[in-house]
Parts: sequence; C-alpha cells; structure tokens
Amino acid sequence: MSDVALSNGTNKGYRLPERFRPIVDDTSCKRCRRCVTECSYRAIDCVGDHIVATDGCVACGRCAAFCPTGSIEIETIPNQFPPHANFTERIRRGIMSQASTGGVLLSSCGTDVEHPVIFDELLLDAAQVTNPSIDPLREEIETITFLGRRSGKLTVSEKDSFSFISEIGPVIAMDMPLMIGHISLGSVSYNVQKALFTAAKELNIVAGSGEGGLHPDFYVYADHINSEIASGRFGVTSGYLNKVAAVEIKIGQGAKPGHGGHLPGEKVTDLISHTRMIPIGTDALSPYPHHDIYSIEDLQQLVSGLKEATEYRVPIGVKIAATHNVAAVSSGIVRAGADFLTIDGFRGGTGSSPRIIRDHAGMPIEVAVAVVDRRLTEEGLRNRVALCAGGSIRSSADMIKCIALGADVVMTCTAVLIAIGCHVCQQCHRGLCSWGIATQKPELTSRVDPGLAAMRVKNLLSAWNEELKEVLGAMGIDSVESLVGNRDRLRHFGANPRIAEIMGVKHVGEGWG
Amino acid sequence: MKVKESSFEEVVSAHDVGSVVVNGVIKGDMIIIRADQRDDLGHPLDFHALNAMIRKAVMTDCRRIVLEGVLGQRYVGSAASRVDLKIEVHGTPGNNLGAFLDGSTIEVFGNAQDLTGNTMNSGRIVVHGNAWDVTGLAARGGRILIRGDTGYRVGIHMKEYGGSKPAIVIGGTAKDYLGEYMAGGSVVVLGFGTRSGESPVGHNIGAGMHGGGILVRGTVSHHQLGRGAVFGEVTEDDTQKLEELITDFEDAFKMEVPRDWRAFSKVCPNTYRPFSGHYDPTLI
Amino acid sequence: MSGLQGNPISQYGLLRTTSPRTIPERPTGSPATRPSGLGYQMGGCGISGCISTQGRGISGESISRMLTTMSERENGLGAGYACYGLFPNRRDEFCLQLILDNEESKCAVEEFLKEHADVTKDEKVFTRKVRTLSPPYPLVWRYFVKPAEKREWRGNSNLSEEDYVVKLVMHINREVEGAFCVSSGKDMAVFKGNGYSYEISEFYDINRYSGQLWISHSRFPTNSPGWWGGAHPIGILDWAVCHNGEITSYGVNKKLVEMAGYVCTLQTDTEVIAYTWDLLVRKHQLPIPAAAFAMAPWHHSEIPRMDPNSGLLAKALRLTYKEAFLNGPFSIIVGRREPEITMIALADRKKLRPLIVGTSSDRDLVFAASEECAIRAIDTQADTWTTNAGSPMIAQVGKGVVRQGVEPPFSGVVR
Repeated sequence: MSDVALSNGTNKGYRLPERFRPIVDDTSCKRCRRCVTECSYRAIDCVGDHIVATDGCVACGRCAAFCPTGSIEIETIPNQFPPHANFTERIRRGIMSQASTGGVLLSSCGTDVEHPVIFDELLLDAAQVTNPSIDPLREEIETITFLGRRSGKLTVSEKDSFSFISEIGPVIAMDMPLMIGHISLGSVSYNVQKALFTAAKELNIVAGSGEGGLHPDFYVYADHINSEIASGRFGVTSGYLNKVAAVEIKIGQGAKPGHGGHLPGEKVTDLISHTRMIPIGTDALSPYPHHDIYSIEDLQQLVSGLKEATEYRVPIGVKIAATHNVAAVSSGIVRAGADFLTIDGFRGGTGSSPRIIRDHAGMPIEVAVAVVDRRLTEEGLRNRVALCAGGSIRSSADMIKCIALGADVVMTCTAVLIAIGCHVCQQCHRGLCSWGIATQKPELTSRVDPGLAAMRVKNLLSAWNEELKEVLGAMGIDSVESLVGNRDRLRHFGANPRIAEIMGVKHVGEGWG
Repeated sequence: MKVKESSFEEVVSAHDVGSVVVNGVIKGDMIIIRADQRDDLGHPLDFHALNAMIRKAVMTDCRRIVLEGVLGQRYVGSAASRVDLKIEVHGTPGNNLGAFLDGSTIEVFGNAQDLTGNTMNSGRIVVHGNAWDVTGLAARGGRILIRGDTGYRVGIHMKEYGGSKPAIVIGGTAKDYLGEYMAGGSVVVLGFGTRSGESPVGHNIGAGMHGGGILVRGTVSHHQLGRGAVFGEVTEDDTQKLEELITDFEDAFKMEVPRDWRAFSKVCPNTYRPFSGHYDPTLI
Repeated sequence: MSGLQGNPISQYGLLRTTSPRTIPERPTGSPATRPSGLGYQMGGCGISGCISTQGRGISGESISRMLTTMSERENGLGAGYACYGLFPNRRDEFCLQLILDNEESKCAVEEFLKEHADVTKDEKVFTRKVRTLSPPYPLVWRYFVKPAEKREWRGNSNLSEEDYVVKLVMHINREVEGAFCVSSGKDMAVFKGNGYSYEISEFYDINRYSGQLWISHSRFPTNSPGWWGGAHPIGILDWAVCHNGEITSYGVNKKLVEMAGYVCTLQTDTEVIAYTWDLLVRKHQLPIPAAAFAMAPWHHSEIPRMDPNSGLLAKALRLTYKEAFLNGPFSIIVGRREPEITMIALADRKKLRPLIVGTSSDRDLVFAASEECAIRAIDTQADTWTTNAGSPMIAQVGKGVVRQGVEPPFSGVVR
C-alpha cells in the first residue's frame, strides 16, 4: 500500500477512513476478474469466489466502466466524521494526514474547493426583434481565430489600384477560438499527447506541448503545437522551435501560481529522459522562477531572444497565472513584446501541485480575463495581442462567457482529458492513473488508444464549436471576433454585484439603457 | 356595374378613412384611385386610407382596381382573396405588397420594394420592373413573376402543401440566399441582363433547402451553393414545369424567352432532413 | 382582417375610426442633456441621402420629401438632416453646431471655446415653433472656429487641428452641462431633434438651406431617448452618419474607438460607427473601400476567391481591424467633406437592412435610401439598383458614382 500512503497517511499512527468503495452485485457478477485487472489502485480483489473491495478506492470509475455485466457501483462512504461545519471532513483529513507524514499536501487536477463559480452566475443574451438571430445551420458563422501579433494599423493606399504595406504577424489562424492547453509529456503518457496533437491538427487548432520538450515523433504535428518554454527549459532545442505554430513562455500556471514543477524520478523513464534531455531516473525540477527573468525587462529579453531564434516567424506568447495584480502585469508583458498573452485562472488543472497553493492562491479566470481585457483597452494595447484564457473551461458555455469577457482564444485541458477517459479523481501525482492518462507505466499507458482518444477529443471540441455557433447565431453575431470582450451580451445573475461591476457586466434586468 | 361614382365617395366619407377626399373614377367594374392625393393638411395618402379604399371598392363589387401614383404605401392588396379581383399598381408600392395574398392578382407597373408576396397562399403577383429583398417569403402557393431583378433572400422558405406549389420567376438576377430554407415550389431565374462572365445569382443559394428546386438560366458555381444544396439534373419534369412557367412569363411581359434548357442549372436539396445529425440526443 | 371579399358589416366594424398611430410620449426633459441612466440605445429607422455630383445646390425640400415619404419607418422619436456645402464663405473654418438647454449652458460653452479656440463668428440657428412639437425647445447656436495655434490637450501636444477639435467636442459633450455639439465639420452642419421628420424639418425650416449633399434619418427607436442630441445624423468633424439597424458587436467596436481616444458620450452604436469611419479613413488613411471592407468584411471562406493580392489585403484588414467589424444588421448613409464632398451607402455583409441607391437620368443626382419610394418621391425617372451586401456605393462631387456597390471589394491590388 505504499503508493496509497501519499494520500491516505496510514504509515504513522492510525488509518483514515476510506472515502469510496466499489460495491459489487454478487448475483450478476460473472467472476471474470476484469475489475481486478483494471484497478491500478488495487482497491478491488477476488477473495475465494467473490469480488470484494479492499482499501484505497479513489472512485476513478475504471472497474465499473469495464465490468461486462454492469455489476459495479462506486459508493461514496458518508458520515465518517462527526458533523462540523467549520472543521469539515476535508480539513480534518488534511490535518490527520499531515500529522502522520509531516509533508506538504499534494494534489492534482484543478481545485475542488466549493468557491462560487462566476461562469455559472453569468447569463447570455439573445437577439429578439431589434436584430435578427442567425441560423448557424444554414448561414455561415465564422469561428476562425487568430493567435499572434497585430499592428493595430494598416497602411493602404489607393490610386489606380490598391497597395498596402504588410504589417502583420507573426500570426496563426485556427478554425476555432479554442486551444488545448499545456499538458506535458511526463504528466501524461505518450499516447495521450499523441492523441491531443492529432486532434489539434485535424481540428486545425493548436495544442500546448507542456514543459517537457517535444518528442521527435511529434515533430510531424509541430505546425499545430504551441511549444512551452518553462523555467526548466527541458528539451528545448532550436530543432523544433522553428517548426512549431507558436512558442509560449510559461511564467505561471493557474493551479500553482508562483510555483515551479517537480516530476519525480520514477516518472523519468527512457522516453521522458529522451524528450526532456535529462538522465533517466533523476527528478525533473522546474525552478520556481525563470532564472533569466527577475523583472519585466528580463522578460522582454527572453521574448526578443526567442523572436531572434525563430527569425520572427513564430508568435511568441507569455503565460501567467491569474494573480491579484494580473492586469498591470499583463500590460507589462504586452509592452515587453509578447505576441499573445495567456492567463490561467486558479481553477486550472495540474498533474501535481501543493494543495495549499492549488486551493488558495490566484483568482478566477472570469475576473482576470475581464480586468486584463479592460486594462489593455484602456492602455490602447488590446488590438495588438491575442488574449488567451483558461483555468477550468468546463463547457462551451464557459468558453462563450470567457470570450465575451475578453478572451480571443480559450484554453481547455481537463475537459479534453475527461473526453479521453479521465474521471477527475485527483490522483495524477501518484502516477497510477487507471485510465492510462497521467501515468508512465507501460501496462497502463497502453490503455489509451491514440486514434480513439483523438476522435473523442475532436468530437468534444467540434461539438463545443457548434454550440458556440448556436449561441452566436442566437445573439445575431456571425463571427466570433464580434463577441470578444462584448460584455454587453452578458448579464450577472449572482449574489455579489461587486464582481459584476469589476468585470464590467451589468446585472440581469438591466437593459441596454 | 353596381357602383356609381357618387355612392363610392359616400361610402368612403361616411366611415372616416382619414380625412381624405377620395377621387375614384369608376369605369364599368373598374375604379381608378389616385394614391398621390393629399389630405387637407397636405399629408400624403397613407396605407391605412389607401387599403381601406381598396377594400371598400371590392365590397362594392369592383373587380379591377387601378392605383395611380402609388409611392411607398405598404400592404397593398394584402390578403386579397377574390380570385376574380385584379389590382393594378402604377408607381412604387411599399413593402409587403400582396402579403398573405390568397387568390387575387396584383400587377405592378414599376418596381416593388421588399417583402413582396410575404406568406402568400395563392394568387398572382406580376411586377413589370424589379422586386427587391425577401420577395416571396414563405409563400405556400401562387405565383410571382418579376420582369427585372431581385435582391437578397428571394423565395426564402417557400414551401408546398397539398396541391399548391408556389413559383417565382425572375427575369433578371437574384442576389445571395436565394431559396434559403426552401421546402417546396420552384424558383426560376432567367438571368436577362447578367453581366458577362458573372452568375445571375449570388451566394449561399438554397442553404438548408429541403424541398423544391431552383432553376437558373446561366452558370452557377459550386461555391455559390449553401449548405444542404446540391446540383441536380434538369429532368423532363423540370423542362415541362419550365415551359409552363416561361410561357406564363412571356404572356405576362410580352417578350420571348429562348427554350435553351441546357443553359439551366438546377439546385436542389441533398436530403429532406438536412440537419438530423446535428444534435446529441443522449440522456446524460 | 379577412380578405377583401367578405361580410361588409364585420369589415366596417374593423375599420379604424381614429388614428392608428400610437403617438409616443415625448419626455419633456432638457433637449441637450443626456438623461442620467440613459445608456446604450438602439435604433430602427429610415435613412435617405442625395448628392449632386456636379456640385449643384439641392434644396432642403428635396431631402425632406425623401425622408417623409418613408413615414412608416419612424415613430416621432427623432429625426435629423446633415447638409454639406453649406458655408461656402467659411469653408476653412470648423462649424460647431450646438443644441443648448439655456443661456447658462451657452455661456459655459462660449467661455470654454474662448479659451481653446479662435471663434471667428457665431450665430443663432434659425428655429421656429412647431404646432405639434411640445417645448422645451433647445437653443441652437453655431460657432465658426479656428483651433488654437498651440493645440495641447491634457498632456497631448502637437495635436492635428482635427484631433484637437475632436477633443473640444468630447469635452463639451461630456463636461458642459446642458450643451451638446451635434456637428463639428467644415462647410457642413447637422439639424436634428426629437420629433417626426416633418416636424424637425419644419422646426429648422430645412427648406431655407441648400447644399451639395444631404443625408437624413428618421427614427424608430426601441427605447425613447427623449433628448435631441440622441437623434441622427451623428456627426464628428466632417463626418455624419445615418444608420438603420442594430450593431450586435457594439461592445467590441466601442473598445476600438476608445483605444484611439474617442469618448462614447452617446452610447449609441451609430456614434461608434461615426468614430470608426473617422479613425479608419482620417487617422489611419484607409481608402473608403478598404475601410468599408473592415466594417463589413467578406467571410474568410470567400477570400480565396479573390486574386492573391486582394486576398492578402482582405486578410490583413480582417486581422488588423477585427474590432472595426460591425456585426449584425445595418444600413448606413455616410457623409463626408474632405477631400471632396462624398456620400457613402453601405449595408451589412448579410444585407439584413434595406438599402437602395439610384441616379437621376442626367447622372447629376445620386440617391440612397431605405426604400425605393424615397427616391421616386423626388425623381420618378431615377435608375435604381441595390448594392451588394458589404459593398459601398460611393458618390463624390466632381467625380460622380465612383463605386456602384456591386464591384469586388478592391479593384486590383498591387504589392
């Protein structure tokens, strides 16, 4: 049970109660033991002629999904702690666990704390009478989206014919205002990254490489990859920098602002070692800051350096976590020459993060994107850059609202992993992912069929894009760029009007006037 | 002839159709109404007054109504249902000419504006000029003949039901979204006056169409088709239909149209359920 | 109502005996002061315009007739006229035409102007009482100004004369209580107010004026603004815009003009359209067809059908000026004086609002209107046509119709 110890704290002291338990219907169970094979957490076993639950179930749902007779249900075990509204079960589990280990609590995926979700407090507008809605099934609604630098001004002259001086780019065009965020090889398996890149290429959008460099097998997808330059600079070579669609300097990640990264040595397999260009079995440590960026002018240096290295052919972006001064920082980043800017909200996912940071640092993307959009507008910079935003985009509704709050491009990670099979059990950091996603164990990674996974990701994102068109049509807008930052088409329907005010969104019931 | 000049004026003034004094000239069962007359305040005759006069003339058994000097008055002949009634319009009728028309004939000597024949059920509209945007919207029957050009969204959502099949014949050209959502009937574009090298129709032709057919005399490129519309072969049925419609067109406008069936392109739906795969009905 | 045929008694019963028009309530606030809480306004409406390409004078009576012919398109909550070629003797001076609540606001404006510009002449604009138009009437005054030599505004020095005048106008409209500058161009003025088109025409006695270009607007707003400044045309510098429709991308377009320093005091989509024209054509020097393309662009999927160089320009415009894209239904008639008096008529790229253009048989007059009847009202023999969606019709004094509005976006692009 040593793997389980990380979360369950059973090594010093007493055991913590289990949270989940697979319940097997003994009458319909065929004793095929498929569930036992599937459970990478060894939480289900065969004793004699019966399938029984053992300890350590994380409710990943793998056993139930693969039971040929549908005999398994996963139960959340209730009422194991005396009720207390303040010292919640979650708090007490944390205390007990840390008392046993003395460690920093680790977790993964986005925060599961019940903060209000502002997206859910926003309502969309639709056209009635004064302008016609547009039928997306019959009339073209454009979702083409550009990522990169814009000049803000074009020099065109007309004498007998038109002539113009190109002041464009570097910029890339995507078919949807969506990109798959940065999910590194290391945090997920080769098959998963291959599926994501395949989907991105076929959808004509970009997918983030994550900070683990780029495996040579994936160079064929390079023109649809947004390559990340993180503080560890793992695997970064000019070999692929000139081939990728975009390069993004990662300053921070929504789930762990101000924090670096740590890929444990166990995960640094031959494949990872090759891609990250570090020895097998060593810890891959990403420093907290970039040690060539201690200030904004240093960022400018790195941006310019990358532009030189890529000969100005590739848009260079900067990704930051949404923190409290995000608007001012963003303005600095644009002035430092970034061609696009990515803001990652505090709900964003992670393959591993200290729980204290994941749950308590940063700010929601809804507010962050709105204040950044406004600040850049006030400073006359908004039409120079593309603004990308992510940090728990769960549905097309979130995507649409995020665009209306100011994002050109919306980034999603967890949702595409769910499309592949992830059940958000928040155990990524343990490397035991039963769905074969957040793991490097060959017997598990083989569970993901890259072709099937790519198709599922494609289906999901195409469906979102169709839903975007439905909403745009209902709003009487026939091109997504006319929604970007168009807060007039949103209303706040929540408890805190101050949030609406900060976002520049009116309350429900307030008309145009 | 049942109507006398004096009695007609009496009818009108007795029921306070604005403050307009109507100058209707009666000849046989025909009445000529000047639509450019003005009231005491010098205001032009508005559509309320004009249409009320038309209705009254019909009630008094006028079967031919000639409107002179029409300028922008809307809804002329709206919902007129007597099959033996003919309304002649001289000038420029306003929007929604012959809206909800249900049997009568309207003939326009001039250009019609937008929304001509809106939701017509049966009847006939003949325009000796152009008819602009959204002509024949949702027509369920009847016929619209236009000698000249049309604008955007002509024949949009025309449909057929029971024995009635609407038809629009356009002598000149049409712009984008021709026959969009079309669910039945025929749109014929003869393409006279098309600039050389150009198509007589615009883009997004027949988008979402799931019935009926669009026949264009001239070239139509694939990129001009909307979603769900495809090219079809001009069949014998089509040429029969064309022959009938074109003969009618020739009679209406006293002109000759060549029977060059090979010059016609036919746009038709690729399915009657164009968007059935769009939704996910899964219970979640 | 049943068909024309039918039971005479029920038919009679349905006939109206009183006027069917709902006469809108006209709030009796201050005409020049934007009521507090009044935000974004939408408009339906009728528009018309007429230009003499040979530079002959067109009487106000003509434009008034065009506009009032489309009486079904208005509900008495705003109408207006812009006239170009109005002050041939002062054609190099900016004419600031203001509507003022009272003498006090007039004094405040004059004090401000005295400090920041050289007022060469000022005069009362003729207005008169209209039987059906209830007071209060604004005081309408015009000032001919030359901008100060040293054109500094809040830290911005060396402003161009035009930029400086824009700053003055924005200041008056925002800061001077009871004053609203309705037009600020050279050799032109805007006459507008809260009423039916014929009432406003009578109020200003439009017939007394004659100009080479007129554009006009009658309003059918969704919410009643109740103030005179909110009527169209909306003017800034020598631009005047009449607009029918509603821009669904307002929030985006507003950002673009605000980034360029314009202040949206009116909160209407039309104001943003006027500033966008000024930004793209005057400040960024885009040719009118290129600016029109930015506002009503081709779909990306259509661009490959252009020749490669035109396609590049199209892409560059769409990318660079994506915030200038006016989404949603609109048809607009735009007037401009520099470098020559110009009328532009443009409909949105899906042609969701009506627009028809025409020329007189001698090719002197060029018309644009929401409905053909407006054109026929002054010229029964006119040759009319509809422009293509997103394609501007451009007519200029001295040049005639330079674009019919059916051509490809750019007539040949060289690189």
